[in-house]
Amino acid sequence: MRMEQIKDNMQILEIKDIRKSFETKVLDGVSLEVNSGDVVAILGPSGSGKTTLLRCINFLETADSGTMIFDGKTYDLAHASKKEIAEIRKKTGFVFQNYNLFRNKTALENVMLGLTTAHGLSKNEAEKIGKEMLVRVGMEDKMNYYPSQLSGGQQQRVAIARALAPNPKIIYFDEPTSALDPELIGEVLSVMRQLAIEGMTMIVVTHEMDFAKNVSNKVVFMEKGVIVEQGLSNEVFENPKQERTKEFLRLEENRTLGKG
Amino acid sequence: MGSELWELFVDSFWKILLPGLKMTIPLTVLAFSFAMIIAVIVAMINYANVPFLKPITRFYIWIIRGTPLIVQLMIGYFGLNNIGIKIDAFPAAVLVFSLNEGAYCAETMRAALEAVPHGQLEAGYCVGMNYLQIMWHIVLPQAFRTAFPPLSNSLIGMVKDTSLAANITVTEMFFAAQRIAGRTYKFMLLYLEVALIYLIFSTILTWIQGYGEKKLNAYGANKG
Ligand SMILES: Nc1ncnc2c1ncn2[C@@H]1O[C@H](COP(=O)(O)OP(=O)(O)O)[C@@H](O)[C@H]1O
Ligand SMILES: [Mg+2]
Repeated sequence: MRMEQIKDNMQILEIKDIRKSFETKVLDGVSLEVNSGDVVAILGPSGSGKTTLLRCINFLETADSGTMIFDGKTYDLAHASKKEIAEIRKKTGFVFQNYNLFRNKTALENVMLGLTTAHGLSKNEAEKIGKEMLVRVGMEDKMNYYPSQLSGGQQQRVAIARALAPNPKIIYFDEPTSALDPELIGEVLSVMRQLAIEGMTMIVVTHEMDFAKNVSNKVVFMEKGVIVEQGLSNEVFENPKQERTKEFLRLEENRTLGKG
Repeated sequence: MGSELWELFVDSFWKILLPGLKMTIPLTVLAFSFAMIIAVIVAMINYANVPFLKPITRFYIWIIRGTPLIVQLMIGYFGLNNIGIKIDAFPAAVLVFSLNEGAYCAETMRAALEAVPHGQLEAGYCVGMNYLQIMWHIVLPQAFRTAFPPLSNSLIGMVKDTSLAANITVTEMFFAAQRIAGRTYKFMLLYLEVALIYLIFSTILTWIQGYGEKKLNAYGANKG
């Protein structure tokens, strides 16, 4: 599936020993390496800390401890400065489970806003990029629609365009299709598959086993705040080493079969 | 209605409406504009939990909401002049109405700010915006839409409340009506007449409110 020649195997992101507790331990020493062009699928049962992991590495939550090397610079996840956080966020995109499009802005304005405010682009430049991005996700027809006038799948595609707009080094997806009606999942996944083919680096928390198996090149299986198993996608799916991974994959397969 | 009464009605209509145009409307427009500025600042201080300033704003709201408007007006005009702070009736009324309305509208705005889902802020942070940019481009506009109907109601309420300014010698509509009534002894006619004029003002504002709400809803409803 993936165009191997695009990958240059440069490390873009490394997370070392991230820890986070709310009432209980939610992340209990998670480490992860991501190369440029990787598509990393994070799997795991609900409550295993997947969302918290993504939120901590984009500072929506503050980790208790941990280090992050991103784009060649080292950051303390627990004590990053405002300036460092801003710097990181300008080079990353985030796609939420429930889209979180700006409700008072049209599709095009949603894509433009970060460019004109955070990235200092002129309105014209931002509009040009905004339209390009909406074309990439197949939403150029609806660029003047407000979020409330769009279906969930369309909103999520706009949200992907918004994340893509500043040409980030990596995009984090937190269950991008979980809030969608089944018939709308395909359009979002196909946009994401296209991004993968184009070489975009992505970490995708997902329950879509087909996506994890066929689009992502790496798989991380999390449970109870730790990584139980990680490896190349085909290896983990064809030959899982841990008992828990086998069980989880079996359950997911049944779930998918049950749905179909 | 006898022709004398009718003549008095017609004659006094303009004598009441004129101070309405010259006093009631400027008083309302000025005071409500200042009130909105106060409301937004106070609401944002509360929403963002700004240290030191927040207790001050809570104290201000506590005082305003806990005391009658008529007493505030008396303090703002007779009280201030009494302790040597020279202030005319009209600016005193603007001052008191601004502070009074500002406190109530601040609470309306705060509730509207808090009703904006947290995910909207998070999305703003994720595209690299800072807090003030997010407030300006995302949270405040959405909060204004939510607050528009209750704020319009406050404005309509305030037009009626300006009649209290007659108590501090502001020659607005009610003051004019009282003066004619005192001279002619036609209390029922004059008070009904001034009531009618207030009703016309409120009705026009209600129409504008309805139009504004329709306009806002056309801009993609505030959901989803
Ligand atoms: N803000 C929070 N406050 C308290 N507990 C939280 C918070 N966020 C997540 N948790 C808890 O952390 C655990 C992991 O949550 P989460 O990262 O959302 O898991 P996942 O995304 O894998 O389903 C859950 O038990 C959840 O209840
Ligand atoms: Mg989650």
